[in-house]
Amino acid sequence: MTRTQAEGRDSVNRIFAFLTGWALTLMATASASAQEMSEGVSDGMRTPSFPVPWQLNLQYPVTPIAEDLYWFHTYLLWITTAITAVVLLLLIWVALKYNSKANPVPSKNSHNTLLEIVWTALPVLILVAIAVPSYRILYDMDRIEDPELTIKVIGNQWYWTYEFPDYEIEFDSLPLTDDEIDYAAGQHRLLEVDTPLVLPINTDIRILFTATDVLHAWTIPAFGVKLDNVPGRTNETWTRILTTGKYYGQCSELCGIDHSYMPIVVHAVSKEEFEGWRADQLAVNSTQPDDLNRLAALPQE
Amino acid sequence: MYTTATHAHDDHHAPTGIKRWLYSTNHKDIGTMYLIFAVVAGLVGGGLSLLIRMELGEPGVQVFNELSESPKQFYNVVVTAHALLMVFFVVMPALIGGFGNWMVPMMIGAPDMAFPRMNNISFWLMPPALILLILSSVMGQGAGTGWTLYPPLSGLAGQPDMSVDFAILALHVAGASSILGATNFITTILNMRAPGMTMHKMPLFVWATLITAILLLLAMPVLAGALTMLLADRNFGTAFFDPRGGGDPLLWQHLFWFFGHPEVYIMILPAFGIVSHIVSTFSRKPVFGYLGMAYAMASIGVVGFAVWAHHMYTVGMGVNYRAYFVAVTMAIAVPTGVKIFSWIATMWGGSIQFKTPMLWAIGFIFLFTVGGVTGVVLANAGMDVAMHDTYYVVAHFHYVLSLGAIFGIFAGFYYWFDKMTGKSYPEWAGQLHFYTTFIGVNVLFFPQHFLGLAGMPRRYIDYPDIFAEWNLVSTYGAYISVASSVFFLIATVIVMTSGKKSVANPWGEGATTLEWMVPSPAPFHTFEEQPDLTSGNPVAQPAE
Amino acid sequence: MTTTDLKRRNRRTAITALTVMGCMVGLSFAFVPLYTLICQVTGLGGTPQISNGEERTLSTEEITVRFDANVDRRLAWSFEPVEKSITLKLGETGIASYTATNESYEPITGISTFNVTPLKAAQYFTKIECFCFTEQTLEPGQTVDMPVTFYVDPALLEDELAEEVRTITLSYTFYRTLDDVEDDETDTISTRETKPILKLSAAALGGS
Repeated sequence: MTRTQAEGRDSVNRIFAFLTGWALTLMATASASAQEMSEGVSDGMRTPSFPVPWQLNLQYPVTPIAEDLYWFHTYLLWITTAITAVVLLLLIWVALKYNSKANPVPSKNSHNTLLEIVWTALPVLILVAIAVPSYRILYDMDRIEDPELTIKVIGNQWYWTYEFPDYEIEFDSLPLTDDEIDYAAGQHRLLEVDTPLVLPINTDIRILFTATDVLHAWTIPAFGVKLDNVPGRTNETWTRILTTGKYYGQCSELCGIDHSYMPIVVHAVSKEEFEGWRADQLAVNSTQPDDLNRLAALPQE
Repeated sequence: MYTTATHAHDDHHAPTGIKRWLYSTNHKDIGTMYLIFAVVAGLVGGGLSLLIRMELGEPGVQVFNELSESPKQFYNVVVTAHALLMVFFVVMPALIGGFGNWMVPMMIGAPDMAFPRMNNISFWLMPPALILLILSSVMGQGAGTGWTLYPPLSGLAGQPDMSVDFAILALHVAGASSILGATNFITTILNMRAPGMTMHKMPLFVWATLITAILLLLAMPVLAGALTMLLADRNFGTAFFDPRGGGDPLLWQHLFWFFGHPEVYIMILPAFGIVSHIVSTFSRKPVFGYLGMAYAMASIGVVGFAVWAHHMYTVGMGVNYRAYFVAVTMAIAVPTGVKIFSWIATMWGGSIQFKTPMLWAIGFIFLFTVGGVTGVVLANAGMDVAMHDTYYVVAHFHYVLSLGAIFGIFAGFYYWFDKMTGKSYPEWAGQLHFYTTFIGVNVLFFPQHFLGLAGMPRRYIDYPDIFAEWNLVSTYGAYISVASSVFFLIATVIVMTSGKKSVANPWGEGATTLEWMVPSPAPFHTFEEQPDLTSGNPVAQPAE
Repeated sequence: MTTTDLKRRNRRTAITALTVMGCMVGLSFAFVPLYTLICQVTGLGGTPQISNGEERTLSTEEITVRFDANVDRRLAWSFEPVEKSITLKLGETGIASYTATNESYEPITGISTFNVTPLKAAQYFTKIECFCFTEQTLEPGQTVDMPVTFYVDPALLEDELAEEVRTITLSYTFYRTLDDVEDDETDTISTRETKPILKLSAAALGGS
């Protein structure tokens, strides 16, 4: 039994956690947005990009695209909340003003051309206000300035393989089982792997995606990156990590039995550290186990 | 005054016992069977969703360990079966087969459907389809592919045994049933309207059913074609979706969503129609902007065929294609907005009675708005990178379907309960059902937005502990909803066996469509002589 | 309107409806070749263009083409590009090659899929000659060279959306052909399990 299963039984604790946790999150979100406004998101002073209990919003962004998405979501949230609030207020208003007690004789009006034009045109304007930043972000995401580093992410049932095609580095990233998790070291159940992907910060990175068996989708929410790994086809996107840290993702396209059990871990390190890691990998790579060992190491259901 | 046709010679034509149902060609009996079928399938589908929520109530794998030697596969099977059941065997049979069969002929003043025997076969294809689907889940390894059946996972390499083949056959049979039903509705509505009932005087539910039937006729065959290709790939060595023979797995996604997106409008348009009638009836006002409402539904239906790839923003599609699908998808918000505002305008200036059906309809309007605005969020291809395949999507489509289509079904159920059964549903029971369901489903689905934003992917049997809190809240919401549904079932059985007798028109002057001019329950043969609307609406004059 | 009139009209409407349905089934199958065609014409999904021998201009701008190779796990071949990448001028004909070796003890037929990324560059990447989509049979231990000739259309520079692209990746994946798999009884990708998934034990029925 895992640590949390025991915790799960304790509902009283949970209700208490609900109240305190939510309040703390709200405060954290509020102070974070204040900090955002004064310093910008990417100042490196952030808590690690990882959700907290009772999290209400997106994970903290650590790439330019993710920052845009974070901002865009807040913008959309204001608009959608306003629309919902208007509908709710109108419903409350008619319920109070036009119930059968308050208004025993119904009017018979069923047309108002001006009104109908307004409520067709107004949504169009709102949609335009949404579309303008939406398209800017969409095309920014697609604009691939020549990156310095290329990685290739290969989805397998049920683990990831990473390749640095320019450096002859290739390794598998296998999930850790519940028993292997070191909670004391701050590891998270279902999110840790034996060999994380290491990437340098402040570097444009090209990411190629493919798969060997079925569809998978590689994602790191904090990077604003998610793309399907399609067997027999290569996809490409790019990212630029602004803050060092350990970032998590999980496979995001149903891929069979162990779909829930193929986490993604990226260590973002300084360029110097990355160079060191790369040199180590080149040394290790010559002694890497062959494919037969790899097959034997496949997680069994 | 139009009276009804409960004469001895009619009863003479009505067979009794098992034959009445098995050989039924009567639109009301077939409608009743569709509704009962939807309830049975709903119990199974709802039971599966309860299993899912129980499992996700806390981290780790608990419930499914008890159920299966292979809990992770079985979880995928349950997720798949839940979706297929709810889409093909609950929402569609209830809204189209159930209320459509019951009400459309009465509302247009027709004696029955155009092809009564075809109607019979449409219904009787459904139980075998349901049995095939249930078999696919319990024999072999089950179809753990998601309802989208994406290859290669749904191919032989991903799901080797015959479960997926059974699921495909189930959908084929259900699809054949839908296509026959759609043909029947189109013919009935186009040819059999009472004199004086022009297209622009048709009740909105009839409009909704007509548009839905056309969507079915255009979308369902594409699914049938795609399923046939998948079946052939699995069994006959073809390679439509297999790169080893020159195929492409993404072709499936295009075909599936070309069907799949119209399918979501197939599920919601009849609910739109029902809500329009209820809002008008209980506000005691005609529907505001009738033509706008009808054409809004038509345009939603048309545009619905041009947006399919917004389900595929992350498959690797050129940016211009994504940009196009963003624009068209967001455009659907405009006719949808027209409908929401027209419903509110119908209430405006009305004399509203908050009876049970009206509560469900108002609940529908508000919750559909919530699901609609999250739909606009998801329509943005950029934003979708953060949301795709997370619980945000799950929350969105449950708001529009579980809280939209299902609320529409309950609204219609309470609205027409008297007409269908001749019994009167006690207000307190209906309202208690509404309030508990409203609270339950919101507690159930609203937190899933937060889970999705935080990054929890969908179709996961187990999740990192950090997501435990909101999942627990969500599961409590499921318990409330289930308790509410159990209450509903018990109350309905009691009311149907020993309820108070109702009258022809329990809702008063606001109810102006033709079904309210016949007694409750509606007689076996509705009209002695076909009503004539050339000189106005016969129901508008006070009945009885 | 008489009953016979109505019956005739109903029949006509139903036949029209069912004809529409038939057309839609037909359309779904017609979409299979249509999809391939759309991919080839528009570069959807990163499908490169095929040269029709037309005149092309030469640009001074340079572009790098990277070569990527994948082999399906069920195919006992090694398959690699000879060079990882080449840099050439836009409009210039590039020649690259891959090598494939059959590492098994039997003849095997392979077939490749391919695409170009970034996807938006596909419509400017033109193949003059290549081995794509042609089946190749390799004898045990046999190694073959697979050349690809291509050029990148300088029109890329005029496309506002794609003008920043200076690296294109050409990617191939080799599979064992379906026909070859079926001929070969030793290849058992589908171990058909028959054990039912539901635990119908007393514990499951009684437990929570």
